[in-house]
Amino acid sequence: MKIPILRLGRILLASIQEDLTDTEAMQFQSDLVNEVAEIEALGVAVDITALDVVDSYMARVINDTASMVRLLGAEVVICGVQPFVAMTLIEMGRDLIGADCTFNLDQGLEQLKTRIASRGDIRFAGDEDE
Amino acid sequence: MTPSLSQVLKHRQDELLEHWLRDLSQTSSDGSFSSAHPELIEPLRELFYVLMTQLDQAASREISLATDQPSRLEREQQTALEPPLKQLVAEQARLQRSLSDTLGFLLYLKHLLFKALFAAADQAVEERSILWLDHCFEQIARQTFDLALAQRDRYISEQSISIMELSTPVLRLWHQILLLPLVGVIDTGRARQITDHLLEAIAKYEARVTVIDLTGVPIIDTSVAQHIMKTIDAARLLGSRVVLTGISPEGAQTLTKLGIRFGDVISRASLRAGIAEALLITGKRIAAMEASPR
Repeated sequence: MKIPILRLGRILLASIQEDLTDTEAMQFQSDLVNEVAEIEALGVAVDITALDVVDSYMARVINDTASMVRLLGAEVVICGVQPFVAMTLIEMGRDLIGADCTFNLDQGLEQLKTRIASRGDIRFAGDEDE
Repeated sequence: MTPSLSQVLKHRQDELLEHWLRDLSQTSSDGSFSSAHPELIEPLRELFYVLMTQLDQAASREISLATDQPSRLEREQQTALEPPLKQLVAEQARLQRSLSDTLGFLLYLKHLLFKALFAAADQAVEERSILWLDHCFEQIARQTFDLALAQRDRYISEQSISIMELSTPVLRLWHQILLLPLVGVIDTGRARQITDHLLEAIAKYEARVTVIDLTGVPIIDTSVAQHIMKTIDAARLLGSRVVLTGISPEGAQTLTKLGIRFGDVISRASLRAGIAEALLITGKRIAAMEASPR
């Protein structure tokens, strides 16, 4: 299943609804990265509310994607990590998910907006070509 | 009596030279060389005289390939011939003529000398003279080839140095902001030079922010990433923040998959966003003018 990537202005939103196979996970990763580069996204929210199980592979994919997105100059939040998922991730290793996490999508978007607002590239009055 | 090599050649020296130069001024009929540029006449003439002197000296010493010390003679001959040959090769390279033309000129001279030698000899020419003349031109051809190669190598290394210097400028973007646009493949040598240049510039301009633009780097692999990391760490030690810009999606994926973490280095999609970030850090901003001049 292809994961839809929604665009809200210069923020991208991707919601993972079900367990992904390895191929699907890699597909999602490259889709997201290319989209970020294409629109020069300022922020990316990855919502995993619907995931009850996150294995170490999936955790790594999420973490890698977050690193890639940061290298491309966008802020990242992971939204909706379930309590049970959080516990297993901690069991498996502390830094399995290095990106910032929020409880739900609402808070995630808010945090993204705050972080974007403090960035240099949108604080300019001189940005007339937007 | 068999006329000696030296006698024959000396006798007809001027005639031979004129004949040689005249024939060189047009493309040879068998295609072994194309016409010599007028500017070559002087170097060729000089080469001819030096060669004649060498032939004369060698002949007067009654050389024999078997008994004498050919290696010592060869060395002397090489030393004497080097300046005119060098000049010839340099001129040819400057005129963008091929090395085979140069060799063609020299071998054509050999042809003329042999013809003169045989024409003058009523009977068989001394065998060792022929052998020696042949050997002598072999040496010259080899020497010319070496000189041309050496010159080309020198050009290439000079050019690669200048390319290196051209491609790693450190630009002063604004007060306390430096821009390091990286273009091309980054190897260890260049990486070190880039770091050196950058650190010097940071110290000189007291830069608080350095923007490193990677748009022009085609492939980012482990070694490139490590070099960039080192540059960033070094810049940090001098108290300059680093903003990376222009990493391609492929580059970002490679870096992450290789397990390279740039930690808290600020990374921005475009140079424009990176500059904005740098300005923010230094507390500056670009603003529209209140009254437009036009």
